[in-house]
Amino acid sequence: MSKLHADFYADAMTQVEAVITEQQLIAEETYRVRVSAASIASTAVPGQFVMIRLASRNSPLIGRALAIYDVIDDSDGKPRWIDLVYIRKGTLTQALAASPLGTQVTLWGPLGNGFSDRPCDRLIMVAGGIGQTPMLLLGREALGNQTFGDGSRQNGWASQVELIYGARRESLLAGVDDFRNAGFGLTLCTDDGSVGEQRLAPDVLAERLSKLTSGETVRVATCGPEIMMQKVAEICATAGVDCQVSMETPMACGIGICFSCVAPIKMDAAEQDGSEGWDYKRTCVEGPIFDADKICWH
Amino acid sequence: MNLSVTLGRLELKNPIMVASGTFGYAREMQGIVDVSRIGGVLPKTITAEPRVGNAPWRTVEVSAGLLNAIGLDNDGVDAFLESHLPYLREIGTSIVVSVAGRTQDDFVSLASKVGQQDGVAAIELNLSCPNVSGGVDFGTNADSCRDVVAAVRAACPVPILAKLTPNVTSIADIAQGAADGGADAVCLINTVLAMAIDWRKQKPMLGNGMGGMSGPAIKPIALRCVHQVASAVSIPIIGIGGIENIDDVMQFLVAGASAVQIGTANYYDPTLSTRLIDQLPAALAELNASSVADVVGTLKRS
Ligand SMILES: Cc1cc2nc3c(=O)[nH]c(=O)nc-3n(C[C@H](O)[C@H](O)[C@H](O)COP(=O)(O)OP(=O)(O)OC[C@H]3O[C@@H](n4cnc5c(N)ncnc54)[C@H](O)[C@@H]3O)c2cc1C
Ligand SMILES: Cc1cc2nc3c(=O)[nH]c(=O)nc-3n(C[C@H](O)[C@H](O)[C@H](O)COP(=O)(O)O)c2cc1C
Ligand code: FES
Repeated sequence: MSKLHADFYADAMTQVEAVITEQQLIAEETYRVRVSAASIASTAVPGQFVMIRLASRNSPLIGRALAIYDVIDDSDGKPRWIDLVYIRKGTLTQALAASPLGTQVTLWGPLGNGFSDRPCDRLIMVAGGIGQTPMLLLGREALGNQTFGDGSRQNGWASQVELIYGARRESLLAGVDDFRNAGFGLTLCTDDGSVGEQRLAPDVLAERLSKLTSGETVRVATCGPEIMMQKVAEICATAGVDCQVSMETPMACGIGICFSCVAPIKMDAAEQDGSEGWDYKRTCVEGPIFDADKICWH
Repeated sequence: MNLSVTLGRLELKNPIMVASGTFGYAREMQGIVDVSRIGGVLPKTITAEPRVGNAPWRTVEVSAGLLNAIGLDNDGVDAFLESHLPYLREIGTSIVVSVAGRTQDDFVSLASKVGQQDGVAAIELNLSCPNVSGGVDFGTNADSCRDVVAAVRAACPVPILAKLTPNVTSIADIAQGAADGGADAVCLINTVLAMAIDWRKQKPMLGNGMGGMSGPAIKPIALRCVHQVASAVSIPIIGIGGIENIDDVMQFLVAGASAVQIGTANYYDPTLSTRLIDQLPAALAELNASSVADVVGTLKRS
C-alpha cells in the first residue's frame, strides 16, 4: 500500500442506532454510559474509539469521539455492550448526561488503530484528566484477563501492569475501583493532594524509569492533556523507553474523510522528498495512537 | 424506476453524488458504504503542488452547521494520479475529479493532465474554495469564470462542471458565465464564508480565522441559489448544501437541480448516501414521476 494511504481505515466499523441501557455518575461531572452495540463490542481493541451522536438531532450536529472504556459480554460470553466514560462539558456531553435510559444514540465504530500489543515485561500507563478511558481495556489485555477483536491480537503480553493516574482533585478520579479490580498497580496523583501523591503523573513516571532493573523491557502508554503527554514522551525518550500516545485532536467524522483531525507527524526518511520532515496526518485513521517519537510537539 | 441522469455530456446512474472534500478519496468509505452504487464520487480537490493545509483548528461546529478551513490539504496531482486514481477507477462508479488552481493556466494544465487519464468521467473546477488565497476571482466574476471554463474546455476532452460560491451578489450571472464558457453543468453551492469567535480568548476559533460554513443551516441558501440559477440559465445544475435526508434531495430536484451532492452529512451519518439511493424511487413516485428528469425544476409559483 502506498505511503499516502493510512495503514488503518474505518473498514471494520459499523454504524448502529443504539440504546442507552445504563448510565451512572461515577465521579464529579463524570458519567459512565452503557449502550447496546454488539457489532462494535465484538471487534473493538484497546485504544479505539467510537463517534457518537444523539439520533436524529441537529444539536449537536457533528459526532463526538469517545474512547471505548469497557466491553461487556452477554450471558453467552459474547461481547454485547460498550461502556463510555465522559466528562460533562459542552453540547454533546450535557445532552447525553440528561438523556434517560432508552434514549437512542447513533454510534459508528470501532475507529482508529489501537495500542500496540507488543510484549514487554512491564506496561506503565500514564493518564491525566479524562485520559484514563482507554486504559482499562489495554491493561486487561496486557495481563491476559480479556481478549479483544477478532483474535489476531496477543493476549497476556505483559507480566506487570501499572497505572499512574492524575487529576486535579480526588473527586474527579473516575474508575479507580475498576483499575484496582483489574489488578493494575495504581498510583494516584492529585494537584491538591486530596488523595494519593501531590505531584504530577509524569514525575512519578520519571521516578519509576530511574529505578528499572537491567534487562527489564518496559513500555509506556499515555493519554491525557497534550502538555502531560509531551512531558511523558520526553521522559521516555531520555530513558530510552518505548512510548505510545493517544492524540485527542478535534474530530468531525472519525473515519478519515474530512481532514480536520490532523496533527503534525514526523515522516519517515523515504516519505520526505524535499518537504520539511513532517506532515499533517489524520489522527482518526492513522492514530489516535502514535509512537511518541513521531509527534512534533508544539 | 429509471434513476439515471444526464448532465450535458456526463451521464450518471443516479443523481446521488458525494461532494468533494467530504468523502476523502473514497477508499476511506469502502468499508462503510457500497461506493459502487453512488451516482458519482468526487475525491477531495487536488492542486498542482502538494499543500499541507491550514493549522488546526480546522473545523468548528455551529448551530446546525460546520465551519471549516482545511486549506485544500492534498498531496498534489502527481501523487493523486499515482496513488488514488488507480484505485478510484476500479470502484465501479463515475469519478469526477475536483481541481483548483490560482491562475487560468493552472486550471488548464491540471484539467488537461487529469482529463487524459482513463477512468475520469468529468472534471469539477473548484472555482470557489474560500480557504485559499487566489483562485477566488473565477467564482466571483462572470467574465473570468467564462474564460477559465472555455480555456479548460478547449484543453480537456471530458465533461466540465463548474462549482460556484454563494458568496457573490448574483450567482445567476456567474453561472451564466460558466454556461457561456461551455460548462456541462454548474454545481451550487460551495461553503458560505463565515466565522466563529472565542470571546474569552478574543480570538477566532478556526486556525485560519474565517472559514466556510456547511451543513443543514445553509440548505435554504443553497436552494435559493439553485432556484435563481435554474430560472436564468439553461445548463443543468447539481445542488449541494446541507442535504441530510430524502426530503432535502427532493427539494433540490424540484428547485431545478438535476443531481445532488451529499457533503457534511457524510461526516455525521456515514451510511447516508446509499440509503438515499434506496429511498429515491418511492419519493419520485409520490410525484407520479417515472424518471428523475420528470421532477427537475417543477417548482410552481407560489
Ligand atoms: C480519540 C478521542 C477520544 C476521546 N475520548 C474521550 C473520552 O473517553 N471521554 C471524554 O469525556 N472525552 C473524550 N474525547 C473528547 C470528546 O470527543 C469531546 O470533545 C468532549 O466530550 C466534549 O464534547 P462536548 O460536545 O461536550 O463539548 P463541545 O460543545 O464540543 O465543547 C467542548 C469545549 O471545547 C471548546 N471547543 C469546541 N470546539 C472548539 C474549537 N474548534 N476551537 C476551540 N475550542 C473549541 C468549547 O468551547 C468547549 O469549551 C475524546 C476525543 C478524541 C479525539
Ligand atoms: C471539511 C470540508 C472540506 C471541504 N473541502 C472541499 C474541497 O476540497 N473542494 C470542494 O470543492 N469543496 C469542498 N467542501 C465543500 C463541500 O463540497 C460542499 O460544497 C459544501 O460543504 C456544502 O455542502 P454540505 O452543506 O452538504 O456540506 C468542503 C466542505 C467541508 C465541510
Ligand atoms: S476526523 Fe475527519 S478525517 Fe479525522
